[in-house]
Amino acid sequence: MIVSMKRLTLVGIRQEEGDILRALQKAGAVELISVTADDDGGDVSRRLDEATERIGRFSESLSAIRPYAKKPGFLAPAREETLERMQQDVGEAEAASDHIRAILEEKKQIEARLEKDRSTYTALMPWADMDQDMASIASTKFTQYFTGLVDPAAEAAIREQEAISAEFYGEPGNRAAVLACLKEDARLVTGFLKTIGWTDVAFPHMKGTPKEAMLALEQDEIAGEKRLIELQNELESCGVSAAILENAADALLIERDNLAADVQVEKDVSVFRLEGWVRSDETDKVEQAIRSVTEDYYTEYRDPAEDEVPPTVLQNDRFNTPFESLINLYSLPDARGIDATPYMTPFYIFLFGIMLSDTGYGLVLSLGAWLFLKLKKPTGGLKGLAMVLFWGGISTMVWGVLVGTFFGLDFDTIFGTVDKFPLLIDPTGNPVGMLLFCLLLGIIHISCGHLIKMKMCFEDKDWQGAVFDNLSWVFILIGLVLFALPMASTFFDPPFELGWYNALHLNTVGIGLILLGSVMILLFRGRDKKNPVMRLASGLGGLYNVTSYLSDILSYARLLALGIATGYLAMVFNTLCTMLMGGSGVMKIVGFLIAVVLLVALHLFSIAINTLGTFVHCARLQYVEFFGKFYEEGGRAFKPLQYKTKHVQISK
Amino acid sequence: MLELIKENLGLILATAGAVVAAAGGILGSAIGVGIAGEAAAGLVSEQPERFGNALVLQLLPGTQGIYGLVVAVFIAMRAGLLPGGYVEVAVAQGWQLFFAAFPMALGGLISAIHQARVSAAGINTIGKRSEEFGHCMLMAIMVETYAIFSLLISMLLIFGVKL
Repeated sequence: MIVSMKRLTLVGIRQEEGDILRALQKAGAVELISVTADDDGGDVSRRLDEATERIGRFSESLSAIRPYAKKPGFLAPAREETLERMQQDVGEAEAASDHIRAILEEKKQIEARLEKDRSTYTALMPWADMDQDMASIASTKFTQYFTGLVDPAAEAAIREQEAISAEFYGEPGNRAAVLACLKEDARLVTGFLKTIGWTDVAFPHMKGTPKEAMLALEQDEIAGEKRLIELQNELESCGVSAAILENAADALLIERDNLAADVQVEKDVSVFRLEGWVRSDETDKVEQAIRSVTEDYYTEYRDPAEDEVPPTVLQNDRFNTPFESLINLYSLPDARGIDATPYMTPFYIFLFGIMLSDTGYGLVLSLGAWLFLKLKKPTGGLKGLAMVLFWGGISTMVWGVLVGTFFGLDFDTIFGTVDKFPLLIDPTGNPVGMLLFCLLLGIIHISCGHLIKMKMCFEDKDWQGAVFDNLSWVFILIGLVLFALPMASTFFDPPFELGWYNALHLNTVGIGLILLGSVMILLFRGRDKKNPVMRLASGLGGLYNVTSYLSDILSYARLLALGIATGYLAMVFNTLCTMLMGGSGVMKIVGFLIAVVLLVALHLFSIAINTLGTFVHCARLQYVEFFGKFYEEGGRAFKPLQYKTKHVQISK
Repeated sequence: MLELIKENLGLILATAGAVVAAAGGILGSAIGVGIAGEAAAGLVSEQPERFGNALVLQLLPGTQGIYGLVVAVFIAMRAGLLPGGYVEVAVAQGWQLFFAAFPMALGGLISAIHQARVSAAGINTIGKRSEEFGHCMLMAIMVETYAIFSLLISMLLIFGVKL
């Protein structure tokens, strides 16, 4: 069901606005509509920016110490805190965050310095045996010095130059040189050096000989590394602040949402005006929230106007609610459309089971989902997902008995019966029969989609749409099934008992239904067109749609294929592991142990990959084949101002 | 040698079929999971918290390999190549098993690669709009449909061989 929405207008006293907004946020029932220009450049916007920036700082500190914080168990539920406690933590968190960020900053600086030192050290290496103070090699009034790396082949050429006096250092493959010449020859020498592959290298600004400088760098590196280790230890000891930082970050997140809402409220000197959407059944909640702050206010609730688009809120009973997450995964319905959840749920559960079709896998899936729900206590989408898998697992268990297997084993082998299982149909023994069964399910599914559309049409008083656009196709589909029944029965062993079929002349009825449906489409699909030729052409176009129905129905062949894939993947694993157990003596025990471990791992893998496949393919059958017949998407989600947190859950 | 091949031609063809089916699906998946994995690794460098979603999308092109494996084992089983049963495989049936492998081999190979491209694009999308995960997954699944049909045809053909 889609909950109807009311448009709220609230006018109150300016001084009380902050308290009212906080109360509304706690109630979590109003989605605000902006009635101001987005950025008013005022005090609130500034505080909003500030809060956003602080959240950024806290998150940065948090992610730095996250590896050193105490980790909650994999299945542990989210931590609960009171909002007051979280707000109190903000001051302490600010200090912790500053401390962590200072550590990070110092670490970064030291790392950058060490990096620079190392490259200086490498650059100095060729000069290691130069015994002159580097500072002394500076050009004077009459002489010019050149320091740099030289191509070993060019060394002789330099020595030959009379204008240059040269000293060479370093290994044969890595020659460095200090050249000196008269100032007046400097330009000539520069030109000469260019021709012989000379690389200028300036000495770093350090005291002493290169050797001494390198020693100093080494010592600096040792000191730097030591400091880095200290900083690292300090950072690790900050891991205990994680909880406080989480609390504070979430408290600020709540404050930021509040400020973001505040920006959207229109303010005067003495009053404020707030507009928003409220669920029609939650107006009392809103009133109560405001009244907890003040008596002096005015509210008005009205139905949405024609041109206003309210958010879409779905509401279903406990059984159907989890399946809303599947609708969310696709697209919310238009706020004035129809909630497909209760229609989809039974089909989803039913078809899920056929695709997975292994009792053992269903058992594991349901048990896993149930344990997850009990231990982790998830909320929102995750909870919905777990519930969907729980029901899917139950259905899988049932279908496992009807068409499938138990962990890839035949039920007959387990119970020692002969040809008793699977109870309904064996997809390996009679794949065509199973295929036809799957296509029949598809036809039923698609027809139900049309029936829902018919219901919608009747509610809109559009009986022509209901009959000519939808009932016609239902006729054709049913006719097709009736017509094909005798042919299909030959694929079953034993074939169906067709006495009743012949007695009722269902063959003729089938042909009649197909013709009736076709004529309805041919003549009435273009009922809004005046020109009879155009009208007929439109009808023919409608009949051409039969190809899309063909592909829709054939799409249900995936029920068989995915069922085969699961059952036989499991069987393949079993066969492989049985081979391992074939040894004798000690090898038999070793083989057995390996086989057991392998079996568990392989089956878990198979469950994971097949459940993923089943989940999405089953969803696809709903979205494309089923929803295609009636669903009107395009709604947007209801996002009330509320306590939205990232790390902790607010205790009530 | 030639005599030996002639005598066992049915069995050889069936084995070749199993090899083709496994190779096609597994090659496709290996390439596909690789393509999607590159995109996933890129996303995780920026948004490590999206790892779970990225992994699901990366895994999607992995199913073709499994389908290929199933078809290969089934051909092997029907031809008596696995322990448990010796079957006489005539040449005609050998050819049947051989060709039954091709829908899966080709369909798996090509669909895995193309599915991977959709997956990779989806992974890039959830980097910018994480709420689009469901839609991206669905688009990748659209491609997988054809791998499933390939599996179906191959399996029907294998079941159909009268041994």
